[in-house]
Amino acid sequence: MSEIKEMVAEVVEKVLKHKVEKETVDLLEENLWAENVWQLLLENELHNVAVSEEEGGAGGDIEDLLELYGLIGKYAAPVPFIEHTLANYLLKQIDIKGYEQLTTYSITAPLQLKEDALFGTLKHVPWAKYAEKIVALAQEGSQQFIVVADLENAVLKNGTNLAAEPRSEVVFENMKALQKVPITAKQYMSLSKLVTAASVSKMNGALTTVFQLSVQFSKEREQFGRPIHRFQLVQQHLANMAGEQTLMTVATNNVQTLLGDGQEGLEVAYTRLRMDDASRAVATAAHQVHAAIGVTHEHRLHQFTRRLWAWRDEEFTARYWKQQLAKQMLESKMDLWESITEQNEAHVHA
Amino acid sequence: MNLPKVQFTEEQKQFRQEVRSFLKQHIEKGTFETRCDSWLSGSNPDFSKIVAEQGWIGMTWPKQYGGKERSTLDRYILTEEFLAFGAPVAAHWFADRQTGPLLLRFGTEYQKEFFLPKIIKGECFFAIGLSEPNSGSDLASVTTRAEKVEGGWIVNGAKTWSSNAQDSHYMVTLIRTEPLGEKKHEGLSQFIIDLKGEGVTITPIRYLTGEPHFNDVFFDNVFVPDEMVVGTLGNGWKQGLAELAFERSGPERILSTFPLLNEAIEQLKKKRDYAGLEEAMKLVAELWSLRNLSIGVAKVLEEGGEVNIPAALVKSIGTKFEQKIPEIVRLLLDVYPDLQSEKEIERYLAESILHAPGFTIRGGTSEVLYGILAKGVIAQ
Repeated sequence: MSEIKEMVAEVVEKVLKHKVEKETVDLLEENLWAENVWQLLLENELHNVAVSEEEGGAGGDIEDLLELYGLIGKYAAPVPFIEHTLANYLLKQIDIKGYEQLTTYSITAPLQLKEDALFGTLKHVPWAKYAEKIVALAQEGSQQFIVVADLENAVLKNGTNLAAEPRSEVVFENMKALQKVPITAKQYMSLSKLVTAASVSKMNGALTTVFQLSVQFSKEREQFGRPIHRFQLVQQHLANMAGEQTLMTVATNNVQTLLGDGQEGLEVAYTRLRMDDASRAVATAAHQVHAAIGVTHEHRLHQFTRRLWAWRDEEFTARYWKQQLAKQMLESKMDLWESITEQNEAHVHA
Repeated sequence: MNLPKVQFTEEQKQFRQEVRSFLKQHIEKGTFETRCDSWLSGSNPDFSKIVAEQGWIGMTWPKQYGGKERSTLDRYILTEEFLAFGAPVAAHWFADRQTGPLLLRFGTEYQKEFFLPKIIKGECFFAIGLSEPNSGSDLASVTTRAEKVEGGWIVNGAKTWSSNAQDSHYMVTLIRTEPLGEKKHEGLSQFIIDLKGEGVTITPIRYLTGEPHFNDVFFDNVFVPDEMVVGTLGNGWKQGLAELAFERSGPERILSTFPLLNEAIEQLKKKRDYAGLEEAMKLVAELWSLRNLSIGVAKVLEEGGEVNIPAALVKSIGTKFEQKIPEIVRLLLDVYPDLQSEKEIERYLAESILHAPGFTIRGGTSEVLYGILAKGVIAQ
């Protein structure tokens, strides 16, 4: 774990807490975004976390960065922070220097590569509308590559996800690859785990806020002459949410630490898979606790529940990991108990 | 809620292998048969004796009492392996899990010297006496009472749902030692009662399968000497709460039906049922997350931290998971639940279905736990 972790997280939390209000998040629905927050993050060099100081970065490691992703989720910050920093971090894994210009990524499905030209369509690319570069997956024959392309000349069909975050369909028709690096299946697995760790982190952040909003509301809202948290049926919702939130926070912390230590097992896959259940359970219970006010646009709750609903179907989904895990289990000579205990122990040492 | 991240060492990994091969040998020899929910329903004093010979009862306790001073995480590993292989460890379970820690924390020197070495040798089993015919979830309303006499106390009353009391030597019993006042949590004390003593009657309550499992225990003018009072008179409620953290957070709240899940996955692999495995992976993911949580609590317990809330949390979600396993497995495989079947999976499924309703009741009903959790969350 990096020493700067706490300090960096504090700065980011302070910025987001004060600068990202309900109205700030609403900007996305008016085709705007929180450029001032983005500027503040840049001024504080936060886009350079997990970039070494020799390379002009701010130091820290992936664990620090993932913790910041948790905060982005917790405050629903409408900035392309995760997209830009993770795109550059992916490039770093294959020894390519990151870009200053706003960069995004999409590595779930491959483009076709013919010599240096890219063909194909990428769907639901985050923040492509504002980004200048994209890190993508491409294929030539049976060889996979990580490529970088300019978005300037790409054909974009802009849309949004369920939470009004910018998502675009990007069409590549004979577009030049600025960079192309061949990768192995093993490298691809590592990159997909990084992307998933980012999703898990932001989802856990949003989930935490949904839970906290519900606790707060249950204390403030009075019915039948007392705060609603005094009712046992409401208490049951709160208890269930507390369980899900704690379970996911412990799992997410584990994933972050293991990646920070340079170890990668199946933890991230398990966490992502379980996160689907947790998102559903917490979002459902939170809306039930908030009742009518929670389904209005005026209340903040939807800014987080909509994100959970959107994020669970993006990138490497629970469905994807369920398939990967099943495949591994099918091929494994170990039984379940051996593989669960090996998992923990093979990748972990005190 | 933040819990520490736990990493197992190389030595711990080896210890796990040691326990595992011990259990496999005994299954092969026919010492025991794997069963679901065996930690509570599999009382086998002979097997407990064998476990004791390994030095695996009271393994974390001080050497001066015969313990091994091993870490809580070593014990966690041991427990997990017992559960994964469905070993019949119920006879010594309570003494190892909570009576020992209770005595180490609150017991007198005499009590520690008298009981701990016997527990460690697998010669002394404890039952827990909390619930009464008229106090279940409202535990503090106990009416079993003691009156002071020369050199000790005279106890009258009854305890119920006491698991494995039929095989136990003593019972840690929650008793009212002062008349019921304004606050019902006050005036309660913990006594160690000799279950073979005069005035004690144990009558079995058969589990819904007909098996012996829990008991009614009646006290008719039972004399309990002063030296069998645990900790401070009148402090029984608080002492009991400390015990509950051990009782609620362990792997036995996650793994009671694990043998079924393990076997189901083996069968799906054999059939190369890819779709079935995908569904099963959801359970594995849940198991993995729950296990992290429970190990985190074990670590906090080792460091003497406050874990009442997270322990309640482990129990409330963990037991729901244990109940879910048979319900999913029966949709994934063509398997008929049969306690007498020659096929392991059919037995495991039958055991899991029949024992499942108890998971969310014993050790505190889920409803009581939800109350504790909600109050904890609101107080934060």
